[in-house]
Amino acid sequence: MSSRRSRSRQTSSSRNITDDQINDLVSKLQQLLPEIRNRSSDKVSASKVLQETCNYIRSLHREVDDLSERLSELLATTDTAQAAIIRNLLMQ
Amino acid sequence: MASFDSSDSETLREQSNHKKRRKIGHHTAADHNSAAAAVPWRSDAEQRIYSRRLVEALRRTPLSPARPRAAGQVRETADRVLAVAARGRTRWSRAILARRRKLWTHHEKAKKAPRNGLKRTTERTNRLPAVQKKTRVLSRLVPGCQKISFPNLLEEAMDYISALEMQVRAMSAIAELLSAAEPRRPESPAAR
Repeated sequence: MSSRRSRSRQTSSSRNITDDQINDLVSKLQQLLPEIRNRSSDKVSASKVLQETCNYIRSLHREVDDLSERLSELLATTDTAQAAIIRNLLMQ
Repeated sequence: MASFDSSDSETLREQSNHKKRRKIGHHTAADHNSAAAAVPWRSDAEQRIYSRRLVEALRRTPLSPARPRAAGQVRETADRVLAVAARGRTRWSRAILARRRKLWTHHEKAKKAPRNGLKRTTERTNRLPAVQKKTRVLSRLVPGCQKISFPNLLEEAMDYISALEMQVRAMSAIAELLSAAEPRRPESPAAR
């Protein structure tokens, strides 16, 4: 399953992988990062992109943790009827 | 998901054509071109579906009265539903699902022979110690991606980030709805 995918991909990419391909991936990743997206015209170093990626994922994890906490509190007080209302709202 | 594929991976090379035919009919996890088959994490429809499934899953989950434990349960549920939404196409999502299903660990370990790691696909850039170190940190942040090649890691990270962003959007929206439905609660408006 996963080995099949990565094996076939790596068979070709480990022979043909170029700096350009890496740079291409790095710049695509760069586009996702809110911190350095606006500076996309300048080439940002791979090290910087990786750093920002790690920072961003960590901050997203923190947000999800905070939201999980908030949701667990809200769910403790929300009764079944309200949850049903919410589900209907979500279905629209 | 696709645990039956473990034996197929051996026969794949001999029967690659056969496998490809099967792949089109079968929705297996072996999508080479993950870019083309990428999940549209940004779409409203995807978020709505996720939100609905998450709410349903949360309602089914008996939450512990202990606040920290309950928050952990919500987090685990949110991650699991997110991983399911990935439709088995990414390593990070399969790794998340494997956390719960102990019997999957068997398959994961059998297949995860570090073939290339970082060494074979190393380019000039990747040999820099700063890049290597940050790559290792990144590989630990993305589930199940500690021993994959650098290009694969970047692709997984990109998909993972988009999925996480959707997760945040969806959970924020649900929290807003729940707090709006609870008028007695002095809920401070979240600046999201």
